[in-house]
Amino acid sequence: MNSFDILKIVLVLIGAPILGCLIAGIDRKLTARLQGRVGPPLLQPYYDVVKLFKKDNMIVHPAQNFYVVIYVVFVILSLLMLVFGMDMLMIIFVYTISSVALIVGGMSTGSPYARVGSSREIMAILSYEPILILYALAIYLLTGTFKLSALSTLSSPLLAYIPLIFISMLFVMNIKFKKSPFDYSTSHHAHQELVKGMLTEYSGPGLGGIEIGHFYEYVFLLGLMFMFWSSNIIIGLLLAVIAFLFVIIMDNITARVYWQWMLKVSWSILLIISIANILIVYYFYFKPA
Amino acid sequence: MLDTISLLIIVPVIFSILFVALPKSLYKILAWAFFILGVALSVKLVMDGTGVVPVPESNFAILENIVFVLEVLVILFILAVSLKYKNWPTLGLGIISAAIFGYTYANVHGAEGAAFNIDQFSQIMILIVNIVGTAIILFATGYMDHYEEHRHLNRQKIFYFTMSFFLAAMNGLVMADTLGWLFLFWELTTLCSFVLISYNMDEEGINNGFRALALNLVGGIAFSIGIVLLATNYEISTLSGIGAYAGTNATAMAAVALPVALLCIGGFAKSAQMPFQSWLLGAMVAPTPVSALLHSSTMVNAGVFLVVKLVPTFAGTNLGTAIALFGAFTFVMTSALALSQRNAKRVLAYSTIANLGLIIASAGIGTPLAVAAAIMLILFHAISKALLFLCTGEIEHTIGSRDIEDMSGLINKAPLLTMLISLGMISMLLPPFGVLLTKWVTMEVASSNPIVSIFMILGSALTTVYYVKWLGTILSTTMDKNAVHHQKPETYFPLSFLGLCIVATSILVFSIYDAFIKPQVATMLNIAPSVTGAGGQFSSEIGTFAYALIFIVIALAILIYYATKNMFAPRMSSYYLCGENSLEKDRLMFRNGLCAYDKSSASNIYLQNVFGESKLTTLGYVISILLIVAALAGGVL
Repeated sequence: MNSFDILKIVLVLIGAPILGCLIAGIDRKLTARLQGRVGPPLLQPYYDVVKLFKKDNMIVHPAQNFYVVIYVVFVILSLLMLVFGMDMLMIIFVYTISSVALIVGGMSTGSPYARVGSSREIMAILSYEPILILYALAIYLLTGTFKLSALSTLSSPLLAYIPLIFISMLFVMNIKFKKSPFDYSTSHHAHQELVKGMLTEYSGPGLGGIEIGHFYEYVFLLGLMFMFWSSNIIIGLLLAVIAFLFVIIMDNITARVYWQWMLKVSWSILLIISIANILIVYYFYFKPA
Repeated sequence: MLDTISLLIIVPVIFSILFVALPKSLYKILAWAFFILGVALSVKLVMDGTGVVPVPESNFAILENIVFVLEVLVILFILAVSLKYKNWPTLGLGIISAAIFGYTYANVHGAEGAAFNIDQFSQIMILIVNIVGTAIILFATGYMDHYEEHRHLNRQKIFYFTMSFFLAAMNGLVMADTLGWLFLFWELTTLCSFVLISYNMDEEGINNGFRALALNLVGGIAFSIGIVLLATNYEISTLSGIGAYAGTNATAMAAVALPVALLCIGGFAKSAQMPFQSWLLGAMVAPTPVSALLHSSTMVNAGVFLVVKLVPTFAGTNLGTAIALFGAFTFVMTSALALSQRNAKRVLAYSTIANLGLIIASAGIGTPLAVAAAIMLILFHAISKALLFLCTGEIEHTIGSRDIEDMSGLINKAPLLTMLISLGMISMLLPPFGVLLTKWVTMEVASSNPIVSIFMILGSALTTVYYVKWLGTILSTTMDKNAVHHQKPETYFPLSFLGLCIVATSILVFSIYDAFIKPQVATMLNIAPSVTGAGGQFSSEIGTFAYALIFIVIALAILIYYATKNMFAPRMSSYYLCGENSLEKDRLMFRNGLCAYDKSSASNIYLQNVFGESKLTTLGYVISILLIVAALAGGVL
């Protein structure tokens, strides 16, 4: 590990939450404008986190904040692994640790609201995880390795080979950003639910930690979209912005659906188009070693 | 080395006799002694090194007669019990087995000598059988009294006799090279499982025992036809001989494909793959140590052991592809079935079948890395599954239920037990643990076959779901059931020991790979997988699994948690129940709209009407039978 790598790590550790915080701020601003409100200041998510850390640490279960630490640490690790272009399949597994930590954390509180939210989030895993791994599989079929760093060897950007998986990934963004219509595990909008689902019993520093984790997670998720055109930074960023705008617009024009509905959509339409895309890649581009 | 080999078979037999001869009060001491001897002997075998050990000619004639007598006794026993309980299908299968045995004895020229083949794979199997297996017997000494007390039984002598004898048969099975001997040990494990499954001697137990016996006899018949074909057409009488005959020669591989496919079907039946899965699900009526033994260290491992040993004969052929598809299909189907189950033991049973399917799929893929993954998954799965089963048994004694929903709040009632079973579950589904590492390898090597990989991807997502659901439930603080918690050293020692084994083997994964798996794959396929282990990373040419990094980050997370814990003084509060809590009764009670008190509760999602057994089992039977027929057809053509 050289000094450039260390610089990169430090940059990610400091830069990602700032970027994530701004993303969350833009989200709130845009959403407000779409609803005909002025909306909070851009830095409102930052003020929220600072305030949360000043609050009392109210808990219902002694270990509940342990899961928050696991969640944040592993989101950061998956982001770092993405930045360093490591094994995509491994990144997905590491990211699963963080998702599982949040789910188990919600369930560990024992609150019935949190348990309902967590059960629904488990169903969300069932909907999006296969698509994420198919994404990794496509990278292998195209480059002969699961390492993201190999993407630079491709003659065309990833998007040209796997447009259908890109469409599925847009919906995965919607699920993972926990935005309407798939925000049934926990929602940012008061009009969607009375109690905050999976995170019901989290408050003060615990919730603040989760918010910071979300900042990193936003950057990680949009980073996955960036990878579709990683050879050109501008277009890659543009893809990330498109994905982000898609999520916000979907959030504002749809109402929450049943989780069964999401499972049906994902295991029928999304999985089928992704698998079709994989088969196309396999027959036209895959060269067995 | 021959001494160690004979001791590994004789010592468990001696212990099984001791268990019958000595009174119950000495069982604990016996089990500890057995555990220590088992560890010592298996380590000794590893120290002795590898090689083919022929049986001295002077002993061969006597041993061959013993084998003959035992085989006759096995068949007579099967015929006698099926007559006694009037189980006609089993009787029919027993008669067919007897006929094949008679035919073999009369027409097939017997082997000139016999040999044991100790390779690294056998060493790993011996370690699993004699360390995990004896740990399970040790656990049983703290479990069975309570179990029998509930059910008014007094059959512990038969129980311990069969459990120990099972280990002897299993030791023989993984070391024998002569097919005739291997088959005897194979049938002995079938018999032992029958006795253990029908342990309760009630109607359900006996029916399920016969189902196990019948389905394994089907596998055994396929196995024995395979042996007859090999002996008459190719004069092959040893397991290593098949691989040597096939070599890497495509014509020779095609020639032995049919007998090899038949041997594999024997393996599928033993490993409870679809369509044979019902015997393993039925096996859970037996006491938990029996399930743990069947699922982790013995019985089902014999099937995958045989299939993996046969890899050189089908690697890269159509038969191999059919086997890979079959295994991957079983993996996804049984993972979906596991999702719909509330009964913890049933979830574990389906999970076992799914993981064995994954092992068979990797064997079918047949590249060096895939075979390495298959052998490693056998090892890691055995340890994790033994821990999970034993913990489930202990939970059942603690809360009196094996329903996952009843386990909520277990962390408050039995913290150590909950931590151990959580470790077991996490090791099944998250990095950096061994099972996930091998699953990662399997998924990467499968990626050149899109159908197999799509099955694996779906199965892997389903696996995450059914384990996380359960994990969240036991770690939640909702209190419902009363718990009677008794901590006995002979139950908690094996549990903690297995937990330590999970962590240790996962940290030492590369050393294990280097010492056992790499030379084994190199001898089997003539090429070693190209894997490097620098910097705590398990890297192949297509990817990198950074397990050391994850261990470090976990340690870091724990450090951060304890460092920041005191910065925010925690204040306990009650659940949010819209301000209608009724704290004097229970933290979960609330006042409802009628001003009466209700208890709030939430349960997990099981998707019974999508993934339920009634929805999927028939489909699974149809497709798996089609795949087996396809494998056989591929073998003949």
